[in-house]
Amino acid sequence: MPDRPLVAIVGAGITGLACAHALRDVADVTVVDRIPVPGGVHGWEAAETRELARACRAHMRLGETAIRWDGLALLAIGQDGPQRMEAAALVIATGARPLGRAELGIAGGRPAGIVAATVACHLAENGLLVGRRPLIVGGGDWAMRAAGELRAAGAERATLVCPDGLLRERPVDDGVHVRERDRVVSVAGTPRVRTATLASGETLGCDAVVLAHGVAALRNVDGAVWAGDRAVYAQPLADPATVERARAAGAEAAAAVRSLIDQEERP
Amino acid sequence: MIGCAVAWRLSGTAARVTLIEAAHDLCEGASKGNTGIATSGGDCHPGTLELELVRRSSPGWEALCARLDTPFHRIGTLAVALSEEDEQRLPELLRDAQDTGAAAEVVTGDQARALEPLISEGARAALHFPDDGIIDSIRLTIGYAELAARNGVEVLRGAPVRSLARDGDRIVAVTAGDRRVATRSVVNAAGVEADTISRLAGGEEFRTWPRQGQYWLFDRELGGRFRKVVGGVPTPVTRGIYCVPTTNRSLLLGPTAVDREDRTDRAVDAETLDHVFDAAQRLVPSIGREHAIKTFASNRPASDPTYRIAVDAAVANLVHAAGIRSTGVSSSPAVAEMVRGLLEGLGLPVGDQRPDAVTELEPLPRLLGHPSPEQLFARDPRYGQVICACEQVTTAEIAAAHGMAVPPTSLEGVRKRTRATGGRCQGAFCLSGVSFLHSLHAGRRPQGIAVSEPDATLGVGADDA
Repeated sequence: MPDRPLVAIVGAGITGLACAHALRDVADVTVVDRIPVPGGVHGWEAAETRELARACRAHMRLGETAIRWDGLALLAIGQDGPQRMEAAALVIATGARPLGRAELGIAGGRPAGIVAATVACHLAENGLLVGRRPLIVGGGDWAMRAAGELRAAGAERATLVCPDGLLRERPVDDGVHVRERDRVVSVAGTPRVRTATLASGETLGCDAVVLAHGVAALRNVDGAVWAGDRAVYAQPLADPATVERARAAGAEAAAAVRSLIDQEERP
Repeated sequence: MIGCAVAWRLSGTAARVTLIEAAHDLCEGASKGNTGIATSGGDCHPGTLELELVRRSSPGWEALCARLDTPFHRIGTLAVALSEEDEQRLPELLRDAQDTGAAAEVVTGDQARALEPLISEGARAALHFPDDGIIDSIRLTIGYAELAARNGVEVLRGAPVRSLARDGDRIVAVTAGDRRVATRSVVNAAGVEADTISRLAGGEEFRTWPRQGQYWLFDRELGGRFRKVVGGVPTPVTRGIYCVPTTNRSLLLGPTAVDREDRTDRAVDAETLDHVFDAAQRLVPSIGREHAIKTFASNRPASDPTYRIAVDAAVANLVHAAGIRSTGVSSSPAVAEMVRGLLEGLGLPVGDQRPDAVTELEPLPRLLGHPSPEQLFARDPRYGQVICACEQVTTAEIAAAHGMAVPPTSLEGVRKRTRATGGRCQGAFCLSGVSFLHSLHAGRRPQGIAVSEPDATLGVGADDA
């Protein structure tokens, strides 16, 4: 259909796909994702991913990384080189990550072995264990997943230190210990982390500290990191990251895009 | 910084040079943990060697950095007076600055805000040093070493000096790691460990010690909005805390200055970081902690006297380049030239450039902010594969880093050369991808690759690597 507004969505997870789906009758939508498969954290295996990917009727640019937005066009780059896509609106649906060390206020030295849960899990899935006695900061999805993956990859024991308490059911695993309502205030060790000191004053031995607490938006498109011209952010900062929340965020972003477009079209 | 600068300066001459580094990589001490300000000297003391060397270095930064593929921008510094007391000190500080020969002017609060709109409404006046610059001190250090290596300098890393063999009043060999290097002369640019090297050589007794600085690093969305380096009014005791927009566009806050004993301690503490943040926020109220991406500490070399650049009194062929405290970035080219002159005086063949010497590095283009990504992709299709999304580092850049004469041997080394994992998510997104790439390039199993020093491996159970 000619003359329909162009909309670019970065992120082919459930949020981005749900947004594309909600806009399918009013805009020509392009979805960009750096991973060559739709689904984001929920994966292609999730029934909703396949359903939305089929039904949204969007152009898919998978395996391309969106790098810049100037309010008029999105620049993405991939195996076919840079692609400039004009768009009346940009939707950032690039998901979330756990908080980093500075964000958590963990003082102390800079030993090796302090890793984000996202990384620890990815490495564990590939057979690389970041610690035999990891201390995992967090009590939500990322923390549970990290505990499970690291134990499965051979960790002798994992200790969850949960600043906001345990947000999930206590794991049924003798090798997983839980410290509720406590947080890591500093780490020490050379060259690898050996101890972590908690707010309660206790010092625990460990050979890795896995950061799995809190939720921060992942934003990597220059020009749309804080507040971009005609940029809409669809990043549910919630733990757990459920399909329902993702769908709701996508629908909400679609509504914001529609009102942006309506404003543009008004004389 | 200083060791690499000296190696670079000598590398184009007829001398045969070996660069010896105790750590697993270059640029592991103060060189990677500093503000990256290239001062034009307005804050140095007249009549000192430090000022002289800073002033000799300052005009040449644009040309030198272009040759070393190092980012540099002469953006200027504002020393902002927030109190009446600060303001009253400005005329005196201006006179001092003018005595140094550096460009300096006192500006009103409004003029200061016109130069840097981010500074506080409470700024009453400021001292402006228009010729100060910001430099990527990591790229500078690595650039010095890379050019040196291309000119035939042998670079030994992970090679702590164990002994220096003497024959009479001369050093004849250095044992570093498992290597013994026969030599006609030794330059001591060991930073905080300069006193150890002098002692091992049987040279002059002096003491160097670590002066710890703690820093915050903020998102490049914030740093990119700054136009000037912003500091407070220096006191006789300290220059205070700066807000430095780095050449990577991140924003650096710091440093503190606390003399320590432990040379390896690089721990940060909450109280000190609070102090740094509060001081910076008084200057620039819009800084918010939610945009912090990293905190760190580093030790710069303190000594008494500073700037000990001379032939040792007892060892005839030992040249000290020690105690180059916090101005090592700013003075490094001139320090290197001064050391070359001292070595020439000792009879070394370092007077003339070899006609075949390489004088510049071919710039390695980076995708981040590049005006023509199409051109990059045409040059190498690996520019289409972004690995580190925050800093937009591609596999082309990571491959190029591994093809350097002094390649990375750790993930930290990859970060220093490419910025990968150094952005706002600090590797939460890309560290595994960067690890596997480094593993491929380094020819080591992922478990066994080093985060920093060789025994700081990414995985545990690396013994089967």
